[in-house]
Amino acid sequence: MYAWLYRHLPGPPRLRLALAVVAVLAIVALLMFVVFPAVETVLPNGQVTLGD
Amino acid sequence: MAEASSVPAAEDEQGTAAGGPAAGGLPGPGRPPGPAADAPTVLVESSVPVESSVPVEGPVPVGGRGPAAGWRMLAGRLARGLGELLITAGIVVALFLAYQLWVTDVFAARTQDRLHRQLDQAWRQPPAPRAPAGDRARPVPPPVDLGDGLAILRVPRFGRGYSPVVVEGVAAADLRRGPGHIPGTAMPGQLGNFVVSGHRTTYGKPFSRLDELKVGDPLVVEVRDRYYSYRVTGSEVVAPNRVDVTYPVPKRPGVAPTKDLITLTTCHPKFSASHRLIVYGELVDTAAKSAEVPPGLGGE
Repeated sequence: MYAWLYRHLPGPPRLRLALAVVAVLAIVALLMFVVFPAVETVLPNGQVTLGD
Repeated sequence: MAEASSVPAAEDEQGTAAGGPAAGGLPGPGRPPGPAADAPTVLVESSVPVESSVPVEGPVPVGGRGPAAGWRMLAGRLARGLGELLITAGIVVALFLAYQLWVTDVFAARTQDRLHRQLDQAWRQPPAPRAPAGDRARPVPPPVDLGDGLAILRVPRFGRGYSPVVVEGVAAADLRRGPGHIPGTAMPGQLGNFVVSGHRTTYGKPFSRLDELKVGDPLVVEVRDRYYSYRVTGSEVVAPNRVDVTYPVPKRPGVAPTKDLITLTTCHPKFSASHRLIVYGELVDTAAKSAEVPPGLGGE
């Protein structure tokens, strides 16, 4: 999977490496700022108030 | 790595900047083992073992029958893809743990800094015109927008640096900013029950040490012009549906309050939703802000 993705990145190795790093950072940012905040609302340690 | 260093840096930079044809032409003679760089579409299959060094083309030298080799290749690819997916899933879970344990604290710390600055600024402005009715002992605090800071909580037992800004509201977004005042319950210094919920873990974990509080411990709530000093009167662990602990007189529905109370709630045990930890307190002292040291914080 990753080898396939890497092969389909354009440009010389340096550019590919840079693109791969940027892609990884973008995915991590997406997880940290969008996915995880949405997921954690169903986690138990966020439930600190009283109610049903 | 080695091949990159053998190429003069300036030349390589030029090649990269010039774009496709130049970049493809430059490394050709200098770097024989790198065909994948300029002709990926032609050599998709054969470039697999070069880059991955996984014996996908193993069946060829073995020289076995075609179908068996094909099956082995397919199985190998599937196994490899599955393995990569599992590793990815593991990394995502590890990232989520890091997010929960550290990143949310960073978010909350930045938000709290901002809330502190906003409160400082707001409190330096002249207060909004008060209702003329002369009940000076019990000023009616102005309403606060959801998510905005309304008071600073100080708990000497948690150290001098402990001063989270209490925000209005207990929605998930509010609690990410700081401990939240349950709307509709009394404001600090108002007759009734000032109820504040906060995270036990994650997002700065303002209430992580709530279980360490003992009867008699001071809880100081700082508002625009005064300090309200409460004393802890007790604590208990209750089921999550016990809304009655937030009543003006806790657990006494319909009873009119005669005291200024404070109630802190958080989850219990840590990282669990099974119970709630409740700490009760009552107002024992009120001091104007001009006092140098708030009551309850002086004797530490």
